[in-house]
Amino acid sequence: MKKHYSSSFTGRLAALLLLAGGLLVPGLFAAPAAAEKFPAIGPLAEREAPKAALVEMGKRLFFDQRISGDGAIACATCHDPAKGFGDGVALSKAYPGTKHFRNAPTLINSLFKSGFSDTGWGWSGHMGSNMNDVVRDQITETMIMNMDMRIMHERMKQDPVYVAMCQENFGGECSSGKARKALVAFVESLVSIDAPFDTGNLSAHAQRGRELFEGKAGCISCHNGAYFSDGEPHNTGVPENMEIFKDPMRHLTYRSVIHTHGVPKMGVWRRDVGYFEVSKNYGDVGKFVTPTLRELNYTGPYMHNGMFATLAEVVEFYDQGGGQDDPLAAELQPLGLTIEERANLVEFLESLSSVTPVTVEPLKVPQAYKPIENWLEVTN
Amino acid sequence: MNILRYLTLILMFTAGMVFALGMADTRAEGDPDVDAPLAPLGPVPEPLDNKITDAKAELGKLLYFDPKLSGDASLACSDCHAPKQGWGFSDPICRGYPGAVHWRNCQTVVNSGFLGKLFWQGNAKSLEKQAKTAATGGVSGNGEADVMEQRLRQTPVYVEMFKQVFGTERPILNDAWQAIATFERAQLTQYDTPLDRYLEGEVGALSPLAVQGLELFTGKANCIECHNGAMLTDEKYYNLGVPRPFEWEENGLNTITFRFELYAKGSHEKYYRDFKDDPGLYFTTKRPSDMGKFRTPPLRYVLFTAPYMHAGQFYTLEEVVDFYNEGGGDNDMTAYAGSKTPILKPLNLSDEEKEALVAFLEELSGEEIVMATPKVPPYEAVPDIEGMSQAEAKRIGLEFHLSATAEN
Repeated sequence: MKKHYSSSFTGRLAALLLLAGGLLVPGLFAAPAAAEKFPAIGPLAEREAPKAALVEMGKRLFFDQRISGDGAIACATCHDPAKGFGDGVALSKAYPGTKHFRNAPTLINSLFKSGFSDTGWGWSGHMGSNMNDVVRDQITETMIMNMDMRIMHERMKQDPVYVAMCQENFGGECSSGKARKALVAFVESLVSIDAPFDTGNLSAHAQRGRELFEGKAGCISCHNGAYFSDGEPHNTGVPENMEIFKDPMRHLTYRSVIHTHGVPKMGVWRRDVGYFEVSKNYGDVGKFVTPTLRELNYTGPYMHNGMFATLAEVVEFYDQGGGQDDPLAAELQPLGLTIEERANLVEFLESLSSVTPVTVEPLKVPQAYKPIENWLEVTN
Repeated sequence: MNILRYLTLILMFTAGMVFALGMADTRAEGDPDVDAPLAPLGPVPEPLDNKITDAKAELGKLLYFDPKLSGDASLACSDCHAPKQGWGFSDPICRGYPGAVHWRNCQTVVNSGFLGKLFWQGNAKSLEKQAKTAATGGVSGNGEADVMEQRLRQTPVYVEMFKQVFGTERPILNDAWQAIATFERAQLTQYDTPLDRYLEGEVGALSPLAVQGLELFTGKANCIECHNGAMLTDEKYYNLGVPRPFEWEENGLNTITFRFELYAKGSHEKYYRDFKDDPGLYFTTKRPSDMGKFRTPPLRYVLFTAPYMHAGQFYTLEEVVDFYNEGGGDNDMTAYAGSKTPILKPLNLSDEEKEALVAFLEELSGEEIVMATPKVPPYEAVPDIEGMSQAEAKRIGLEFHLSATAEN
């Protein structure tokens, strides 16, 4: 497994210093100790908004079913703007003829996911580690869009709207590279707007929740930084979603994916192997990459397999020290939270969602292709 | 080996070749090659590595009709090679994958076991390879191997049948292509046509008009030049000047596929930009002189396989005969590459002669091969492993991790 040795070393050093301080002045550093070991939570960094025309092009691609192999699904099918750019079900739909075995994560704030972790994207860290690569993965993956990108760019070249958009944004003809850049721009335009946490309007309960988050509950040990994720895989013992194995379509899709990734004994597993898919280290079985906690109000159900319907369930799960699992890392311990503390924690989590939903008006993209006038006279 | 002995051997070999060719060569003057005589269809060739068995053919039949072997599990072999459409497809250009369209005509599967070159471009050398290529191509099956294989493994009927036929614990996708090819060889071969009976000595098997057509076929019309041997094809490549299909210009979906093929099959950018017609064999050889050439199609079963030519340019056999009577045609590639075959010349056939030729072509087919669509086996869930508890399954492989940790 790849690690940021430098940062984890600094972390350990900080922890040692804090520990030493705590010994000298008992009690004084105890509460903030957890928080200071990790990148601080806080408002998202300012960023330059992507060019509006490029976002428009990306948005059109995002809602266009012709970007999938058989023209049946668009990005928006599983990343629905009405559902926090997830799809609101425990296990995602996926390409026709397959069914996915994990939850569709939100796309909001993905901009801030880039470039801070050497673990790939996706619940099991199996994808690229920058958005352009991930967009390509999703378009070409068999169980996602199953699209041959060479056909995709020819489809775009047949649509005068895309032809004009490619010309305006990049100059020249449409290509899959230009499509990906436009999609990246669109996804980068999806950023939290006015979360109480960012605007400094935390209720008293939420404020106490924040203290628990950074202190007693220790959530910050994984959910840290402005994006609320360390980008690393962890095993929290979330119960298996046995639908993956009870539904033959999901089971075959699951096996096909782990087979592609070279997971041994693919027919035998009756659990989602998680980051093991990438590392092939048995200690990583059941690890999943920490998700962001922003915009949770719009993105239930939760966890990699959608096993929890509400934030209260999630908090209760962690309060019990996570789930039972054989190789469960000793990262999680029962927290001993009171009912009130759990409620405060939930209220804090809720404050991480924008009051104004981050969404866009769905676009209906005409699917028919027109012939090119004077086709015989113009170059292809 | 000393040089003298070596040279002697070469001389002997060369002399033998000249002798053999001289014996067999009954060509008329100007004839570019030896034309194998028409012959009854012998037994279907059986590959050494894929023997024909009834059980394998039955498995192949199910797979042929099963849409699991495509990208979105909606398209079976039988959707583009449809029993009721001559085991081909009755649109000029094949339907292809949902959301797309193909770019050439779907050919009949009947008797395809006798061919050494499959597809119009001849780019598959066996039925096994043809099945695989069709199931995975972007505008045909668009299937991906891992998913298709797992679909078979999720189907207990297949697990059992593959085990019986191939002796494997679980279905292997390559074996699926073997089974499909076996089905095609075993059950889609038609030996009993009027032509076969006639050639075997049954004088009345061909109608008198067709007999007249046969004489034209092998004589004045010179069809035999390319459509020869038992399958009525020399499996060579020619540009006849068949006109460009109108679909590429008039239907946007077809234009997309046309450009995609130019792009994906690897032509020079100049050709990708400029071409408005199918360069055919050029994609394989990259020789400009091969532009617009397609492999001679067999003529058996043509009664049921309209429309004709590589992009279904002609709807009837009458149109086809008219085309040849005029000495073929012109297309972009005859103009650009000068690749039109010199074999074609105006034939000056009378209306009666054309009629006779069509009658002969129609009697190259036996009865229509009909087959009820079989019910394909369903997926079934296997949440548990026999003899293993869920708790045990959860621990699969974990003991390695624990012992490794203990050693450290």
